[in-house]
Amino acid sequence: MSDAILTVENLKKYFPTRRGTVKAVDGVSFFTMPEETLGLVGESGSGKTTVAHCIAGIYAPTDGKIVFKGTCISQDFRKRPKELKHEIRIVFQDPGSSLNPKKTIGQILAVPLKVHQITSKRERLSRIIRLLEMVELSEDYVFKYPQALSGGEKQMVAIARALATNPSYIILDEPTSALDVSVQAKIINLLMRLQQEMSLTYLFITHDLSLMRNVANRVAIMYLGKICEIAPTVEFFQRPCHPYTKMLLSAIPVVSEEEKLLKPEKIIPRGEIPSPVNVPLGCSFHLRCPEAREFCSYLDPEVVQLNAGHTVRCHLFTSKS
Amino acid sequence: MEKKTESLVHVQGLSVGFRVFEGLLKVLQELSLQIRPGERVGLVGETRCGKTTTMKSILRVLPQPPAVLFGGEVLYRGKDVLKMSRRAIYQLRRSSIAAIFQDPLQALNPVFTVGTQLTDIVRDWAAGTGKKMSRKEIFQRCVEALAQTGMPDPERIMTCYPIQLSGGMRQRVCIAAALVRPIELLLADEPTTNLDVTIQDQILRKLDELVEERGMSILLITHSLGVVMDRTERVYIMYAGSIVEEGQTKEIFANPLHPYTKGLLKSAPRLTGEGISQGIPGRVPSYLDPPSGCRFHPRCEFSMPICQKERPPLLTMEESHQVACFLYQG
Repeated sequence: MSDAILTVENLKKYFPTRRGTVKAVDGVSFFTMPEETLGLVGESGSGKTTVAHCIAGIYAPTDGKIVFKGTCISQDFRKRPKELKHEIRIVFQDPGSSLNPKKTIGQILAVPLKVHQITSKRERLSRIIRLLEMVELSEDYVFKYPQALSGGEKQMVAIARALATNPSYIILDEPTSALDVSVQAKIINLLMRLQQEMSLTYLFITHDLSLMRNVANRVAIMYLGKICEIAPTVEFFQRPCHPYTKMLLSAIPVVSEEEKLLKPEKIIPRGEIPSPVNVPLGCSFHLRCPEAREFCSYLDPEVVQLNAGHTVRCHLFTSKS
Repeated sequence: MEKKTESLVHVQGLSVGFRVFEGLLKVLQELSLQIRPGERVGLVGETRCGKTTTMKSILRVLPQPPAVLFGGEVLYRGKDVLKMSRRAIYQLRRSSIAAIFQDPLQALNPVFTVGTQLTDIVRDWAAGTGKKMSRKEIFQRCVEALAQTGMPDPERIMTCYPIQLSGGMRQRVCIAAALVRPIELLLADEPTTNLDVTIQDQILRKLDELVEERGMSILLITHSLGVVMDRTERVYIMYAGSIVEEGQTKEIFANPLHPYTKGLLKSAPRLTGEGISQGIPGRVPSYLDPPSGCRFHPRCEFSMPICQKERPPLLTMEESHQVACFLYQG
């Protein structure tokens, strides 16, 4: 896709450990269009966060290419030009540990402004107050410490910090998974409004599929460092194809009867995600797959294009077509 | 008086506080709930609303101080747990009530193997009930309990330390520890909060099967509305230390009455993709100086003058649907 804002091609990130190489991300490819929200869903240990960290430049990828607005950025954070650093920002999962407890909110928000020389010293305070206003916090928060804030407010400060440099691409790494539903609703609405006002592109990482249904334009499902299915949200929930996707969808607890009808036929989940140190041969999902064939245990499936924008990585679809 | 005998647990007007440096935290405020034999009951509320305090009061494991008991009683089969002798309460925990705590890594002792911890429980239970069991029988019983939770290779797991297990496996060890002896009541405090959906589904399904098989009661404490909808028959909605709504799970989810329940249900993201509501404004109040009257009134869009002055009584709307809100009075 030439008009995509960010393209990831065959991204790999291996971590050498004493017990062998951990293939956290193993050949992931996707793209994001400007001003869209791409949802990245997976269980813990599937490599979602590693993908995010590679894009943000926290890790240098082992192999593969990340292209942002036409320039290749797949090198280390330190080698990245400063202009890029303020284009791509990240919001972490746990706001409790991503804010320095010994600094006031004002000091925390001043750091990106100083580093990227966004404002002069004199205008800095007014800019911080404007940032707080953007995330619906009043200006007396400037002198508060993170410990005086609730979880939701801390996450809002973290979002304000990401917005400080006028970015165009924001990675949201499970921004609401530590919060209650009533607070989650507030933060999601805030994020959606900011996306429209500032024409932001989001990479939204989560394990909550019901949330994804309401937030994302397209959804990608990750399993053991590989993407098994990508589809536009509506199609994804109407016609899930990969057995893992179906298993995930049928396992989510829902609140109303209408929703129960939307879930695919019950697949009883079994097993756990294997350790990424010794990924099973062949299709990495075959040990838990209810429809596994004999060749799944030694043959790794290719990515199959089903129709526009809907790709799946499963033998069930290679043999039929 | 008849009701009391038919329910397994009957908590009545329980008020609990905590004395801390800043002052007195008034957490539970005249909380009442009951669990009947063989019933699956849910207790739902946001973080910091007093769910865990309630559960710990039923088990009487709250350290006093800092906890302070102001009043109320917790009747277990008609006997007040809060006034029992130390020996009686141990006997109760040994053979009638078991608990699964939220964080399995904290609930398990890191310096003993899973096997040691499980066999200890069985040995203590056997000693308490006067049963004679050989070491082999005890071991066998623990292995069976682990296998029942769907744990692969239970005999190897018995020799493992908690850190060698994944989150899902640790939680299964905790469930096995709770169910390794026959009990009547299981208190499950957020048993699946830190787990993935597929594992959550497996564990809750297993728990359901075991509960049904043995005919025990379960109090499922959680903030996940979906889990409660799927797994319980009756539900209590809790806000800032008291019950605001109570009734059949299906009825409450289809027809919520209290403004808080409505807000909570609206905030949950739906699979139908109709967007996300604005959530509930404000946050759970500080227990140092809780709002007067109805504790929800500062966040409530239907707040009336009376809400600030008086505590709303629990009104019976329909058979087995009760709500504590002045909107429905008269």
